[in-house]
Amino acid sequence: MNKEINSEVMIEVIDLHKYFKELHVLKGISTKITRGEVVAIMGPSGGGKSTFLRCMNRLEEPGSGQIIVEGVDITSPYVDINKVRTEIGMVFQLFNLFPHLTAIENIKMAPINVRKISDKEATERGMALLEKVGLVDKAHSYPDQLSGGQQQRVAIARALAMQPQIMFFDEPTSALDPEMIGEVLDVMRAMAEEGMTMVVVSHEMGFINEAADRVLLLADGVIEEEGTPTQIFKNPTQQRTKDFLGKILSL
Amino acid sequence: MNHESARANVPSRFLRSRPGWTFWVRRYEFILATLALIVGYAVFLLPGEEATPVGRGVSIGVFLLLALAWSANILVDGEKSDWFKGIVAFGLVFVSCWLFYRYSGTEWDKLGKSFFNWEKMQGAWPELLEGLLVTLELAAISAVLSILVGLVVAVLRSLGSPTLNVFLIAYLDIFRSIPMIVLMVFIYYALPYLGIELKSVTATIVALALGYGAYAAESFRAGIESVYFGQMEAARALGLTRLQTMRLVILPQAIKVVIPPLTGNMVAMLKETAVASVVASPELLKRAKEIYVGKANPTALVAAAFIYLVVLLPLTRLANWLENRLKDRMKTR
Repeated sequence: MNKEINSEVMIEVIDLHKYFKELHVLKGISTKITRGEVVAIMGPSGGGKSTFLRCMNRLEEPGSGQIIVEGVDITSPYVDINKVRTEIGMVFQLFNLFPHLTAIENIKMAPINVRKISDKEATERGMALLEKVGLVDKAHSYPDQLSGGQQQRVAIARALAMQPQIMFFDEPTSALDPEMIGEVLDVMRAMAEEGMTMVVVSHEMGFINEAADRVLLLADGVIEEEGTPTQIFKNPTQQRTKDFLGKILSL
Repeated sequence: MNHESARANVPSRFLRSRPGWTFWVRRYEFILATLALIVGYAVFLLPGEEATPVGRGVSIGVFLLLALAWSANILVDGEKSDWFKGIVAFGLVFVSCWLFYRYSGTEWDKLGKSFFNWEKMQGAWPELLEGLLVTLELAAISAVLSILVGLVVAVLRSLGSPTLNVFLIAYLDIFRSIPMIVLMVFIYYALPYLGIELKSVTATIVALALGYGAYAAESFRAGIESVYFGQMEAARALGLTRLQTMRLVILPQAIKVVIPPLTGNMVAMLKETAVASVVASPELLKRAKEIYVGKANPTALVAAAFIYLVVLLPLTRLANWLENRLKDRMKTR
């Protein structure tokens, strides 16, 4: 990538552990995410990818370890997690748009109620974002009137409307029909080019190869291997990485 | 066409070997002939006043059995048209009523004089309508309060605090287990010993609001739980607080699951206001009882029953209609 990467650390994760009852899902994860970086998280299912992502905005409560977002340790019980979350946009596998609201209302809700901006300003901002994801004509459609790809693009616009510092994507294309994956990845690629810091759980090799600065390969709750997409895809060093990549490529 | 009805249309080997043949009991010739027979029986064989009780019983019983068998033969026949079956069914009901009227030994004059003596009701109607007004008022206020109680309890429960839940579940279980009449009597007659004296109307409203609040809370909880948990996550990930999430995301979606059972509860509550007469709330039943005692005639009670019917029948219909409408809409969404 010829993109300038700032060395300012946005998220630092130190020895993160997570248990679901007896199940040890994350077994000591440490990494740093710097401003403007696009980090892809890959790995076999059950390896803890989504859990890791969701711990970083505390949709899952971390077990032990530290997660420092812009200097604030969000594992502390005294931290105002709602405030932290306003800086972290999240896109879900199943879109999770609010079905009782139109596309533009979905986008406006959080800025109006959390950022406390006026309805007019929120509408302007929302329409600009819909323009960006190419869905201005669908502003007043309800989610069930949109295709999966369109819903996911609205969901991205909804997250962006909060003007977050960083965006999380939790398998954003895996619930989509193949012909709709491209339109979502195009939007994400554009965001990466604009310098948005992104953490993407995904198996879209093409997108990762093109847009990601770094790949984390998570297996069995540890970072099995880490490096640039070229390194990981061309010269994997770990046997498990080779097995995993072999399985995706054979599809 | 589903599998079973498809199979039902394939005639048996017996019928296949007899094309165009209808089983004799299903033929109209047979039906008309037996009808003539039954009418003849009714005209000539049904007993008059002078018959012995045993003779009457046997003769009426046989007639009723014949009429039942004749109607059943038509009603179970898939080939007969619906309007024909309808006429037969209503005819059967009519004949039964007529038999009851003629042979039950009821003294219709006396019955009319005591229970349907509308002359005795002169001047009593305004009082009854006043009672109806009180009933409606009680129901409306209690409905609003019980919905508020239910909403607050359900939202508090959704916070998932174990300590809080112990108290909330205790409230729900206790108030859903105590009969309304016991609750009202307790609040009106027992609380004064604790220094809490409530007027009868207030006691009624408190009892209804708390009792039906527990039911409303369960309806709200079912609604809240019906909303996909990803909705909550999406809202929280945007930085909305729990309460904002509840108000802006969860409740607007829950409401279509909540409305039908809630309407049903409210209609039931309107009916249950009658219990308030035991704590001397001046509602419809209480007024009817006063008139009954004052005029030494129970027509007022019948009148009250009619008023309840007139008010509640449309409401139960409305509740049903609402439920079906929301069900249809959920199917399409």
